[in-house]
Amino acid sequence: MAQYILRKLLGAVVVIAGVSLLVFILTRVIGNPVDVMLPLNATAADRVRLAHQLGIDKPILTQLGEFITGVFHGNFGESWYEQQPALSVALERLPFTLELSGIAMALALIFAIPLGVLSALRPRSLLDKVTSTLSMFGICVPNFWLGLVLILIFANTLHWLPTSGVGDWRYLVLPAITMAVLPLGRITQIVRTAMLEQLREPYVVTARSKGLLEFWVVVRHALKNAGISIVTMSGWELGRIIAGYAIAIEAVFGLPGIGSLVVDSIGQQDFPLIQALTFVIATCITLINLLIDMTYPFFNPRLKFK
Amino acid sequence: MKRFKSVSLMLLTFVMATGLILTGCGGGGTTAPKAQPKKDTITIAIPNEPSTMDVQFADDGNMRAVTDNVVQGLLLMDGKTLKPIPGLATEYSQVNSTTWDFKLRKGVTFQNGNPFTADDVVYSIKRIIDPNFKSNIAGDFATIKDVQKVGDYEVNIITNGPDPILPTRLTLLEILNKKAMEADSKGIATMVVGTGPYKVVSWSKGQNIVLQAYDGYWGNKPAIKNVKYRFIEEDATRAAALKNGEVDFATTMLPEYVDSLPQVKTAEGLEFSLVRMNAISGVMKDPKIRQAASYAINWDAIAKSLYQGYATIGQGQVFKSTYTGYDPNLKAYPFDLNKAKQLLAEAGYKGQPIEFVGEQGRWLKDGEQIQAIAQMLKDAGFNVNVKMLAFSKWLEVLFDRSKAPDMIFTFHSNDIFDADRTYSTYVLSTGPGSSYPNTLDQEIIQARTEMDTQKRTQLYNDIAQKLYDDPAWIDGVNIRDIDGMAKDVVYQPREDGRLAVFEMSFK
Repeated sequence: MAQYILRKLLGAVVVIAGVSLLVFILTRVIGNPVDVMLPLNATAADRVRLAHQLGIDKPILTQLGEFITGVFHGNFGESWYEQQPALSVALERLPFTLELSGIAMALALIFAIPLGVLSALRPRSLLDKVTSTLSMFGICVPNFWLGLVLILIFANTLHWLPTSGVGDWRYLVLPAITMAVLPLGRITQIVRTAMLEQLREPYVVTARSKGLLEFWVVVRHALKNAGISIVTMSGWELGRIIAGYAIAIEAVFGLPGIGSLVVDSIGQQDFPLIQALTFVIATCITLINLLIDMTYPFFNPRLKFK
Repeated sequence: MKRFKSVSLMLLTFVMATGLILTGCGGGGTTAPKAQPKKDTITIAIPNEPSTMDVQFADDGNMRAVTDNVVQGLLLMDGKTLKPIPGLATEYSQVNSTTWDFKLRKGVTFQNGNPFTADDVVYSIKRIIDPNFKSNIAGDFATIKDVQKVGDYEVNIITNGPDPILPTRLTLLEILNKKAMEADSKGIATMVVGTGPYKVVSWSKGQNIVLQAYDGYWGNKPAIKNVKYRFIEEDATRAAALKNGEVDFATTMLPEYVDSLPQVKTAEGLEFSLVRMNAISGVMKDPKIRQAASYAINWDAIAKSLYQGYATIGQGQVFKSTYTGYDPNLKAYPFDLNKAKQLLAEAGYKGQPIEFVGEQGRWLKDGEQIQAIAQMLKDAGFNVNVKMLAFSKWLEVLFDRSKAPDMIFTFHSNDIFDADRTYSTYVLSTGPGSSYPNTLDQEIIQARTEMDTQKRTQLYNDIAQKLYDDPAWIDGVNIRDIDGMAKDVVYQPREDGRLAVFEMSFK
């Protein structure tokens, strides 16, 4: 067990290092940050001086060496715009995004699992068709657009909820729903497919012939066996929420999470901040994957930690 | 099948119950602001959170929307006439062509209680011109060589050469408290101390910034006591928050929203669009082809259809009438397709490809404007290839004179309201964004150091005339700043684009 986790962690470190390296190289080729930082009227001498002060006039290998040395000391450098340690700027914004993503994911699962199971129990029924249509809608609708429509309906027309910003729980309702819709659609379909497969298995027939209540047949036997695909998909979706959906949704709802920071830092080409953010996000996603891996034996005891 | 039904029913009930809990809870809350007897707080939505409060370091409009109410310079800008007026200096005079004498205002205190003296001025100016302090706006003060304390309430500022724009530059040079800065040099990133009408109370990162009227302010007390800034990036959400009464004021609204907002006020903005043309090499080197391009664009249609009329056409120059160097005798090139075609024929243009570089998303409807311009040029007979680049790549192209494309679209903001800013950037052959020969260099340099305002204006009018006939760019449109506000807010947006909360009041 310990050995298994250790090996997984080692793999995680390699992944995070690889992502960081890739981003390091990418940031160096997307353009000159000095041009973005300085006003248009700045002179060539100003630009050279700033490039020197930021240390980006050095050969890329030297920069990379400094970056790696820094990372081993937990130092990603100072954000060029905020003039504060980049890692703490990034970490400061993380809890909010994690909270919102967690709520959205819980919301998605609460609806997706029952709906998927029901559709699988009665394939081609009206409920199945409605669920399929709705989940396709969830997958296809652009979430920034959905967010704006929800604001229009629930804030501007019905006045039930605030449009944007942070405060009590009411401020989280619209962003969480907007964020949940896409994973909800995807997970519902996965649950349905996985359940359809399981319900055809002989062990289901056995369970039923034992005279077991249908509810327990479905929940304790079929659903548990379908668990691996559902959990894997959910983990993947959670990663996508943090590294993807949060970016648009936080901008739409004016929220102080890591997503809006990603947009700003890329626009400003704030290299240290981009690197710190990538590191933080990559770490989150690797950890999620690790946790997901560790739940597998629960669903299928034949899968031992090896 | 009976069993199936019971399972379905249980699960369905669960789904519906969850749904009910969620929607039911939503219905319970109310978001309407509580009625207050006398409103003393204004909530303002700006697009983005400032990156810092170090006003001497950053070039950041979101920061200025906050700090322009907190810090002040020796001179202030008149929001209507765009002329410098007394601020922390009560009067100034020139000792000689490179030395200026400033008499400082007495009885002024910083928001931390420290008195304002010449030491603060010397410290602030030295800090910003120090090459080791990597200020992004140092270029605005490159002409300042030194500053000397003459007395407790008098300083001399020495420039590298004669600089007629020094007073305007000083409206951008904010004075900081030497004692506070020396005690804590990093604190300014999150809380700046100035002499202005409001002091910073708090900054909750990601959420809001709160200001409060400073009781010891030397000037007129502002009408509104508390200010809260919120950061809402998405334009539509900012408008929605205003409509919902969650904020009282929302900056940078789109023309499309105007009809649905409670109240809207506009001012001429600072951004002029322009299409720079390559006058040093390639097909467009021939002035006739550049003139033809100027005749080919129907700016009126662009202003009306893209900006719903919230844009003004540049009158043969990218200046507002309040700028130094504005030539009232110039008129915009009329839209004349026949003339454009005729000029192209005279120049012997045979449909050689013309590269037109643009970017999208930096300015309001820049991409749409580029598409419209390209289509109009094609209609006139230009063989235009549009090449859209990411902003930073586009900047590299704009700044590289040796590889200047035939045409490149940009927006130009002249934040010192002086023709020199524009000409030294886009016309002077050594300017960072120039693809123009050195024919006007001498006049531009002469005008830059001419201390006589009348002679200076004359020089600029002469340059503007020459540029009209031998254009460096096609003059575009000036987009109006649109501010949305609640019905009870009284405010007129300023011509200098600053957000002056101290000029706001409630009805």
